[in-house]
Amino acid sequence: MRHSEHVNYQEMIIALERYWADYGCVLMQPYHTELAAGTMNPNTFLRCLGPKPWNVAYVEPVIRPLDGRYGENPFRFQHYFQYQVVLKPAPENVLDLYWASLEVLGIDLRRHDMRLVEDDWEQPTLGAWGLGWEVWCDGMEITQWTYFQQLGGFDVELVPAEMTYGLERLAMFLQGKRTAFELEWAPGVTWGDVYLENEREWSRYNFEEAPVDVLTRRFDEYEAECRHLLETGLPLPAYDQVLKCSHTFNLLDARGAISVTERAAYIGRVRKLARDVAAAYLGTEEEDAVAAA
Amino acid sequence: MPSLLLEIGAEELPAGACREAEAQLPELARAHIGAAPSELFIGPRRLAFLIDDLPERTADQWVKGPPESLRDKAAAGFAKKHGVSVDELEVRDGFLGVTVPGRDLRETLPEQIDRIVRGFSFAKSMRWDESGIRFARPVRWMLAKLDAETIVGETSFGHRFTHGAVEILTAAAYADSLRAADVEPVAEERRRLIVEGLDAIGGWSDPAGKLAEVVHLVEKPVVLESTFDERFLQLPERVIVTTMQSHQRYFPVGGNRFAVVANGGDPGVVAAGHTQVLEARLEDASFTFERDVAVGIDSLAERLATITFFAGAGSFAEKAERVGKLVERLGGGDASLEAARLAKADQASELVREFPELEGYIGAEYARLAGYPDAVTKAIEEQYLPDAAGGPLPQTEPGKVLAAADKLDTLRIAFELGHKPSGSRDPYGLRRAAIGLVRLALEGGLTIDRELLRDELRDFVEERLDSLLDVPVEYVRAARASNVPDLGGVARRAEDLYRERESPEFEGVYTAYDRAHSLAGKAQAAAAPQLDRGLLVEDAERELAETLAKVAIDGNGDIKAALESGAELAPVMERFFDEVLVMAEDEAVRANRLRLLLDVRDTLGALGDFSQIPR
Repeated sequence: MRHSEHVNYQEMIIALERYWADYGCVLMQPYHTELAAGTMNPNTFLRCLGPKPWNVAYVEPVIRPLDGRYGENPFRFQHYFQYQVVLKPAPENVLDLYWASLEVLGIDLRRHDMRLVEDDWEQPTLGAWGLGWEVWCDGMEITQWTYFQQLGGFDVELVPAEMTYGLERLAMFLQGKRTAFELEWAPGVTWGDVYLENEREWSRYNFEEAPVDVLTRRFDEYEAECRHLLETGLPLPAYDQVLKCSHTFNLLDARGAISVTERAAYIGRVRKLARDVAAAYLGTEEEDAVAAA
Repeated sequence: MPSLLLEIGAEELPAGACREAEAQLPELARAHIGAAPSELFIGPRRLAFLIDDLPERTADQWVKGPPESLRDKAAAGFAKKHGVSVDELEVRDGFLGVTVPGRDLRETLPEQIDRIVRGFSFAKSMRWDESGIRFARPVRWMLAKLDAETIVGETSFGHRFTHGAVEILTAAAYADSLRAADVEPVAEERRRLIVEGLDAIGGWSDPAGKLAEVVHLVEKPVVLESTFDERFLQLPERVIVTTMQSHQRYFPVGGNRFAVVANGGDPGVVAAGHTQVLEARLEDASFTFERDVAVGIDSLAERLATITFFAGAGSFAEKAERVGKLVERLGGGDASLEAARLAKADQASELVREFPELEGYIGAEYARLAGYPDAVTKAIEEQYLPDAAGGPLPQTEPGKVLAAADKLDTLRIAFELGHKPSGSRDPYGLRRAAIGLVRLALEGGLTIDRELLRDELRDFVEERLDSLLDVPVEYVRAARASNVPDLGGVARRAEDLYRERESPEFEGVYTAYDRAHSLAGKAQAAAAPQLDRGLLVEDAERELAETLAKVAIDGNGDIKAALESGAELAPVMERFFDEVLVMAEDEAVRANRLRLLLDVRDTLGALGDFSQIPR
């Protein structure tokens, strides 16, 4: 298949942006610190708490140190992209909206084997869970679909629908490519051109060079700062510290510096922080509501 | 009388939820509509039923009130409660009462349907809107038809991508209307279509049992055949099969062929797409596999020192070492020792991280590729067996020994660390390990020295015999207290005692034990530490001591011979109790006689604790 017959990577993103903006989503930009999933962006995690409606869409680069393979395995990366859409509350026709977004990308739903396969999502470090599906397109998982039920240990007030498109897989499907490296990013530029060297260097950093003692110390510092910020009544900056703790934990994990016992303890510490931040955030939401009334 | 069709339309329900709904729907219909469905329609996007011949009105209902004799005192209150005047009350069999007229179905259905929807109980359920209803996935439409009349909702919906709203003309036409809209609403029929399609391809298998799920993953099953590139056949077979079945829900058809059950679409496009996805997954597995093989099983084994088995239980390297020692204790030969050294090596492999359910198997494949003999690789592969209730045991001797040693080690270290399972909490799978160990002794014929199991752990393991043996628990408990040296022997002893329970020898031993135990069992403190033959003054007690000295009870010997030998004590004991006063005035004599009785009990007790067996 020739490239020109298919939408390239950046055009695919532009099409999704256009579609969800037209629907009424606020288009946001990626968050400014490392995240292991678009869900962790405060535009999802915090905004899905509380009683305010919120429709948002954004690209999120996800950083998962343990998944790096030095660029040698064309299916595994420590850095890739998600397209995240959240509709809160989920409208009744939310699935139809989603299917229509695929049609915009040029997928003829009648010609393909589209399926919703049970996938119950749970993120222990965030005290979060929901029910949903993997969306399969001819057997390829192109989206994770979740109706959030709890975040930070709190029941959601308005049930949001979260659609997380796996951009590389979606693009592989659209472009008929067997690996992400071969994807056309822009005319004449491949995904590999942009990110292959990145995978090599960051895999070395994640697995070999990241300084365990410094990271261990930083985790404690981020945790302490988060506590301090919570006491100071600043849940938003406090949440950034949760994200930094989480990423630091992932790096230590990639360095093989966390034993099975310690793992549970670290996850417990992050979950506790996430829960306390969620509680503080809900507190300020309530104050706002009182002030507005 | 008319037929009722009720359809609950939902977003794609998981297969498990479909099965739960299938089990609950008939009862919900009976409870809220008052009749059993004649047909059920269960699938990912709809739960529906048809009830034939439903009365259009519910029956009139007689509500009994106070006795007529209390008309003056109680009638007013009763009448008021039912919204009628006292004069309107009727009398039947000496009681006042009212007839509540039946209601028209059209009037009651919306409310009853709501109760049905709320009546489901799913293992996992969710909220999705303000209604607060919980269901396995969001409910998006409802349709109730009484013959041609629409009571609730408007239309049904056909296949998600090929058909929109579907008019259901009558309740009875429901299934056919949907079939015309690319939906097969009957689960059993979808299954038949799938099996028919797979049979047409031929040679299919479903080792992981995915068919039941696939039936609920599609509304319009289309069975397609495809092939993947032969170069992936270098991968261990179960890696390929797991990728196909667990990850993609495909059915292996032998070699590089597979079958996929799609939910419609253009067959050529769909088959090509699935093939590409499967090949990408196999390509990914190949990368991992080749990296592991390049490292080799021996080097993988050397990396185990850095991987923790579980908290406090040391590394996998330490575990391998302990397992090796246990293999020696269990009499394992060179093959099982070699297997023990390599058994956990695959825990350091990348492929096991991707396919955790294939631990053991992957190690065995890597050992085979490194040239280890079959006896070793087979043992590595079988080390986790039996891994389910009633699951198969290892077939090879080294496999049995390694499997037992692995379970013994896990149990011993976990108990040492105080992780005895409590209630439903058993994070280390110790119950399963204990059952596996007992079955290896019982069915596998492995001799497992009870000395390897101490205190609480011995009880924990031997308690598994209660449910594994077809013998009353009292006999199991009796046998557990015997001097049988190995686990399998305890089971045989329990069975032997139970089988012999009505023989005269058993009777003799039982009586002798019982009398000795009843009298001396609680007087242990008053008994002499050792029998002093010089203090035996009466003939009867001397005879008892002499007979006792001749009693031979061999731990694992023939039960008949042991019981016969023990039963020799019965008449002598009878004479002893007739002629000898145990509680003699002289303290030393008394202590000596108590000791003699305790010796009788303990000698016979080698056969088992008869006090556990009720008479």
